[in-house]
Amino acid sequence: MKPFAWNYARPAEPATGIAPYSYDAALQLNVLADGRPAVMDRGLLAVAGTTTSKAGSATHFDD
Amino acid sequence: MTVLVLTCEADVTADMVVAELHEQGVPLVRFDPGDLPGGGSLSVEYVRGEFRGYLSSGGRVASMQGLRSVWIRRPSTPAAHAPEPSDWLSVESAHALYGMLDCTGARWMNHPSAAAKARRKPWQLRIAYLSGFPVPATLLTTHPTMARQFAEQYRHVVVKSVSGKSPGDPPMALPTTLVPPDADFSGVAAAPTMLQRYIAKRADIRLTSVGDRHFAARKATEPGQVDGRYGDTGHEWQAVEVPTQIARAVETYKKHAELAYGAFDFAEDSTGTWWFLECNQGGQFGFVELETGLPIARTVASWLGAELS
Repeated sequence: MKPFAWNYARPAEPATGIAPYSYDAALQLNVLADGRPAVMDRGLLAVAGTTTSKAGSATHFDD
Repeated sequence: MTVLVLTCEADVTADMVVAELHEQGVPLVRFDPGDLPGGGSLSVEYVRGEFRGYLSSGGRVASMQGLRSVWIRRPSTPAAHAPEPSDWLSVESAHALYGMLDCTGARWMNHPSAAAKARRKPWQLRIAYLSGFPVPATLLTTHPTMARQFAEQYRHVVVKSVSGKSPGDPPMALPTTLVPPDADFSGVAAAPTMLQRYIAKRADIRLTSVGDRHFAARKATEPGQVDGRYGDTGHEWQAVEVPTQIARAVETYKKHAELAYGAFDFAEDSTGTWWFLECNQGGQFGFVELETGLPIARTVASWLGAELS
């Protein structure tokens, strides 16, 4: 029998592409292709969606 | 004294705090438990009553004697990135890491034991009520008859996940959803089901509490919108004042739950009442800060970097 709540489930949104930043172990921060810390580009962070309330849903379920 | 940040590499919300810690000149070690063992390592000795421990990653070493605070953000499962991962290795690594950290005098945001308890929604609702929040009538049941009666009594009810975990493989999303009047409740017998009286809201409220500071943001909703996380309505988050009685209830709740950090979700009804929906002990704050400019990351950094009292 299907759990009641599953009647209202919908396909999860696919992950959005490859993040435009990578981790720099020396800085302990993610950096952009030009070497600047990713946090300096707030617009990019918002668009990337990694800071939203659904960002961790796949692995962390208490966003 | 060092701040230990437990999170995965891709966590740019943690970056916002790490950058603030750098700005404040606070030493930190960022460590992903998924890298243990391998990219990360630890060693701890208990000899003649003395305790000495070290944790290292990326060429940095954190001494347990010099640990100021621990921030658990989005850590991977211990040993997740090990060359030969296994459930056994994850459990061994988790016990070694968190057992060692528990021996320190560091402050936690939040302690794993408190976090585990605070994730449970049924407990949240009870503590919320005792803390003074208005809480919508809620039913958690495996009895279809009880579910049907609850729906008939309140007429408009929503169903939501008990744990917040996504069902299915591949994962499905489970937004909070209004239950239609002709719903078949037989599936309630297949899994504990949470039903809650629907609050006709005019806005979502996200209150982020860091230590003794509270930051509230409000986002207007469209008529009939149930789960604010789904569906772009064009509205934006805006900073709002925290009502005094809400601040008092937040502090009571966090004291009960032994939380240093909490992200509270409320539904604001047409009278302006903030109805408690849930408290995410590790809830996101990046989107709030990015849209409102509220200085949450700086406040988290200040809390983590504060001298031990």
